[in-house]
Amino acid sequence: MEMIADKLSIVQSLWPFLIKGLWVTFQISMISILFGSLIGFTLGIGKTLGNVVLEKCINAYLHILRGSPYLVQLYIIYFVLPSLGIAWLSFDSYTAAIVSLSLYTSSYVTEIVASAIFAVPNGQSEAARSVGMSKTQTYRNVIIPQALKLTIPPMASVYVIVIKSTAVLSVIGIAELTRQGEVAIMRMPGDIMFIYLLIAFFYFLYCYPVLRFSKWAEGRFGQLGNDLH
Amino acid sequence: MNNPMIVIDKVCKTYHLKSRPEPVRALDNVTNHIDRGEVVVIIGPSGSGKSTLLRSINRLNEIDSGTITVDGVNVTAKKTNINALRAEVGMVFQHFNLFQHKTAMENIVMPQIIVAKRSRKEAEEIANDLLEKVGIPDRANNYPSMLSGGQQQRVAIARSLAMKPKVMLFDEATSALDPETVGGVLELMRGLAADGMTMAVVTHEMGFAREAAHRVIFMDEGAIIEENNPDDFFDNPQSDRAQDFLRQIL
Repeated sequence: MEMIADKLSIVQSLWPFLIKGLWVTFQISMISILFGSLIGFTLGIGKTLGNVVLEKCINAYLHILRGSPYLVQLYIIYFVLPSLGIAWLSFDSYTAAIVSLSLYTSSYVTEIVASAIFAVPNGQSEAARSVGMSKTQTYRNVIIPQALKLTIPPMASVYVIVIKSTAVLSVIGIAELTRQGEVAIMRMPGDIMFIYLLIAFFYFLYCYPVLRFSKWAEGRFGQLGNDLH
Repeated sequence: MNNPMIVIDKVCKTYHLKSRPEPVRALDNVTNHIDRGEVVVIIGPSGSGKSTLLRSINRLNEIDSGTITVDGVNVTAKKTNINALRAEVGMVFQHFNLFQHKTAMENIVMPQIIVAKRSRKEAEEIANDLLEKVGIPDRANNYPSMLSGGQQQRVAIARSLAMKPKVMLFDEATSALDPETVGGVLELMRGLAADGMTMAVVTHEMGFAREAAHRVIFMDEGAIIEENNPDDFFDNPQSDRAQDFLRQIL
């Protein structure tokens, strides 16, 4: 009984800090997901337009982002870019976090969007072009609406990865969930195990609904021709 | 009346496929024409270039040399507005290619609004009339996935007709259909022919060719081998290859 009361008092004293950390995690991840998705959608569409130069540039961008660890990207953006002496590249930690995480998100979203567009059968665009639609009209009215449905399930998985990647931001001193936990551990080093479990539980609270949504979306939107009625 | 609807002049097309060591000559100096109101059926063995020829007429395939004109407009010229031209050339595909995320009604309405700039009200009226005409007015609100192949092809034909085309191209329109639904779609095509629509039809339905065609073109290896009115072609084919072909399929 005493042990439970002990743990409860830890939870009670840490609760406000962890909630604050979760809120920061939530903000940063949501903003990064928003920007990352916008960049990713744009690049993903760009990759399918059949322009070889554009495609090569986008592929290079993807290879650089996906071929290096997120932690290293974060270090470069936060520590190395300011040393170049260019004013607008000297980010504060919050901005550096959002910029790096947005780029990281965009690399996954680009691939998802491009493969979804390629997955829409060629006959759809042939039919659209044969009634006189331009390439732009075909994309807007026929290809993208169908491709978007296909992106929903994999997108939810990427969002969960991005949410969990925010834990890395603790290394540049952002007071997100993991950082709040580490501070707490410094105060109560004897409860390290319990506090980490608590942090994991908080991440779970955030990620689980997203994963559930992904599962649900997979059944509902996972294939072409499975309509929204 | 003398100027034909479609003029095909010395058209060549070669495919360079990675899977084949040698280039494939899909169209070999093809010259022909289709008159206004004429129904031309193009037949031939698979790989003979008949689909390539048909798809060149609205530039879904690019040709290497030669010219094609539709109602006096050069299809391949750079300055031609290809979208405007395609709106006047209806095309019906083997696999229907209905927009999967739209109902039957919306499949017919959307191109009218986007391309022909009609009001939604007008487009829906036209769509309703056409669904009636193709025999499935009760299917307006169904998605393609809920329609049979024959019904989907009827919607696809209605979608093309909604653009009020000058020409209709049919690319093996009944090849992917269940046998019991083929008849209905052919009936619809015969109706269009009877209404005076200019039609180019690639098909394996020899019954349709004999009854509905004004002229039959037989192609093999990218060239037109023989052309004639259907009765003479089927009863008395001139070339060896046409004789072989007809022996095999009839």
